[in-house]
Amino acid sequence: MQKKPALRDLAEKLAFAAAVLALWEIVARAHVFGMRSEIIFPRLGTIAAAFVKNFVKGYAGVSLWTYLLNSMKLLLEGMGIGILLAFVFSGLSMVSRSFHNIYSLIVAVADLLPGVALLPVVIIIFGVNPGVIVFLVVHSVIWPMSRNLIDGFRSVPKIYVEAGKNLGLTGTGLLRRVYFPAAMSYIVSGLKVGWARAWRGLISAEMIFGIAAAPGIGMYINQMRTNMNNAEMYATLVVIVIIGLFVQYGILNPVEKNTVVKWGMRKL
Amino acid sequence: MSALLKIEGLSKVYDDDSAELAVIDNLNMTVEQGEFLCILGPSGCGKTTLLRCIAGFERCTGRILVNGEQITGPGTDRIMVFQDFNQLFPWLTVEKNIQFGLKRQGIRDREQLARITADVLKKVRMHGYGRHYPYQLSGGMKQRVAIARALALKPSIILMDEPFAALDAITRNTLQQEVLAISREENCTFIFITHNIQEGIVLGTRLMLMEPGGRIAIDIRNPIARPVSPSSPGYGALWDRLYAALYDTQRGNPV
Repeated sequence: MQKKPALRDLAEKLAFAAAVLALWEIVARAHVFGMRSEIIFPRLGTIAAAFVKNFVKGYAGVSLWTYLLNSMKLLLEGMGIGILLAFVFSGLSMVSRSFHNIYSLIVAVADLLPGVALLPVVIIIFGVNPGVIVFLVVHSVIWPMSRNLIDGFRSVPKIYVEAGKNLGLTGTGLLRRVYFPAAMSYIVSGLKVGWARAWRGLISAEMIFGIAAAPGIGMYINQMRTNMNNAEMYATLVVIVIIGLFVQYGILNPVEKNTVVKWGMRKL
Repeated sequence: MSALLKIEGLSKVYDDDSAELAVIDNLNMTVEQGEFLCILGPSGCGKTTLLRCIAGFERCTGRILVNGEQITGPGTDRIMVFQDFNQLFPWLTVEKNIQFGLKRQGIRDREQLARITADVLKKVRMHGYGRHYPYQLSGGMKQRVAIARALALKPSIILMDEPFAALDAITRNTLQQEVLAISREENCTFIFITHNIQEGIVLGTRLMLMEPGGRIAIDIRNPIARPVSPSSPGYGALWDRLYAALYDTQRGNPV
């Protein structure tokens, strides 16, 4: 009973993807945009060849792998710091009313500022180095994550807190063993939003200010764009999508399945 | 012999309204070791508040002493069983829920934890359910596990706030019988709140009836020999007396 819907879901998704690709190929072959068609809609075969070329030849003798690894390193560093800080500050918000009061204002304001808009100032402060990218990733993760954590902590049913206190918990123990698991649903949502924002923030920043010391995937896309290598650019976007899907289905969904779904707190 | 629980001059005012409302006003009472005290009373008479004060969840004035020591907050010597089925931690299995408090007390030995868990699960007739998550259990089963979780800690007093009020009549009667059996085996004191006169007479060795304002209208020893059924001698008279008093306390108040 459990397996059939899962297989059906997968089949549905694959059928949809195949239909989109087929449509793309039809549009590409029909030269709907005349001369420009080759650039707007390269054939799937051309994109596939560019995909391979990206990794084998790369740009200026550097494989897309290297760009990718640079990006991932900065991304993980930024997300790690962002998530950790979000936990610390949201935890403090639960302990101190004044802190919560001020921190929720900071979150509300900072969450509205697009990371790339801060880039010029950040570069003046830090200089053009990988730290700037890390800063932007932290910026894009910490606010949505904090929002979710605080919402999650605040909506923990009173009965769990009282039961926890009754069974001998106080202070940080209560935070760790009751508030944290009880807010897991919100934490997973926060991770989803935070991850997507971080990934986009990273690529936008790299596209605007490619950092020579650690050239990333955004910089690669930008180079393909400037050189009108559109097939290669699409192929790089495909790489981005693949990574995104891997994180969603390979990491976030299993986390969800092994926590909130297993506990009956949410359906998948 | 000094009383297990001694309450002196307890008052509780909820100040979230502009008009301050004294839910409990200068209440004095004692509970002896081994008693099964059932507290009856209409909604809003302060019986839940009294229980929450004893559990240490509410700030109040006056003194509450357990074994001669004044309580300052929640503690494992007084375990509360709530009415809400969702009092178990949904992220822990039944056995981990039961072991939760034991681990906080510093019991780390796996064998000992397993033994206590098996023992209390047996007492509430839930053996074999240790690996289940709470969402896989029915309401009655969740309440059984909550009782097991309390028993595991060997508290001086188990506080029960209408634990069976949301159950169907059959499950409710079954659970009453089981709690009765447990109370006779365990050397534990129970304070049990209910709206249900039958439940009070069946379970209590002592019956208390509270009036709005937290005044004690009736406080008697249950004269009926256990096990109690509606055909027990004296049941009808006691039921009538409690019924009359319960509805008398509500007279003049909008229901």
